[in-house]
Amino acid sequence: MFMHPARPVPHKAMKILLPDKCRRDAGPGPVTVEALLSELGFDPIEVIVSRNGMLVTEDAVVGNDDEIRIIRIAHGG
Amino acid sequence: MVHTAGHGITPRCDTCGEPAVYRERTTGRHFCKNHFIADVEGRVLETIRSRNLIAPGDHVAVALSGGKDSTALLVILSKVLPGVGPVRLTAITIDEGIAGYREDTVRSADTLVARYALPHLTVSFPDLFGGTLDAFLAGREPEACSVCGILRRKALTVAAERAGATKLATGHNLDDEAQSVFMNVLRGDLPRLVRDSGSDSQGRFIPRIKPLMFVSEKEIAVYLMLHGMWADLPECPYAVHALRGEVRRMLATLESRHPGTMLNLMKSKAKIEAQCGGLLEDEAVHRCRECGDPCSGEICQLCTLKKTLR
Repeated sequence: MFMHPARPVPHKAMKILLPDKCRRDAGPGPVTVEALLSELGFDPIEVIVSRNGMLVTEDAVVGNDDEIRIIRIAHGG
Repeated sequence: MVHTAGHGITPRCDTCGEPAVYRERTTGRHFCKNHFIADVEGRVLETIRSRNLIAPGDHVAVALSGGKDSTALLVILSKVLPGVGPVRLTAITIDEGIAGYREDTVRSADTLVARYALPHLTVSFPDLFGGTLDAFLAGREPEACSVCGILRRKALTVAAERAGATKLATGHNLDDEAQSVFMNVLRGDLPRLVRDSGSDSQGRFIPRIKPLMFVSEKEIAVYLMLHGMWADLPECPYAVHALRGEVRRMLATLESRHPGTMLNLMKSKAKIEAQCGGLLEDEAVHRCRECGDPCSGEICQLCTLKKTLR
């Protein structure tokens, strides 16, 4: 029987929703939330992050097709 | 403890092993939703008890702007105060008249108060001072926070008095308090630096209390998010002019690189307060010769400011 050669599963980009509501893709990871924030220029003290709708800590590892939302917390008032 | 789920790795709560939603940076401790909420509420209750901020029979006016800090304050007080004893709560809201900003937060405050079925009293700058903050600040925007601070302090006092409150609670958090310590050092303002953080009335007004003073801004945001009460509200348009904004960014960077910086600032303040607070507390209290309010000079800040408002 003919077998198709195994093809690597393509990595998908992470989808990131930024505080200003802009969307962008990031590499497939894996990467810690803290490293991702640093790459994007955010201070972890000033934002919180959710992955696929659930809050995650800065040492959580994200990647592949995760949907990441970054929320800025410093508003005053 | 970590757990691999799907494509990522989710650290786990150090107490129960559920997925962690928050990591305390100083200790590295992880919290799940339930243990995080219990930790925040426990810390607020401990602050109230250890500093005698609220006693059974008190009527607490909660300064509710509708922003995140005051929203969290109202929610947390509603939950923890039954542990203190019979205490009444009344929400008070100040509408300064800041176009494009305050409308949203006032709406948010109205919704919250309706949800908790609390008495709600709103006073506005036009009612009290004859004009909006926007009108007062035309051409003097860089002074926004000092002008607003003086007017707002008076408005809160008036609202708390109208409510018949015995305490006035504000949503100042750990970040706010650490920023204030730093700003008072930068300004060389020792009397203000050593003023009691938890209750700064010095017996002259309805005592002001800050039950969230040991809860960080980030913890407040996470707390609201976990309660489905996070609202992406606009930032005050005048915030860009404030020294506080620069100090906030500086301290956030320091806290990020050196976890515990903000708490250490508070500890430093407490030590200075313990050493020399008594030397400055007896500063003479006068009555403003124009309005009769307590003040440190002959004319209070509000009457001095009013002369310059158009």
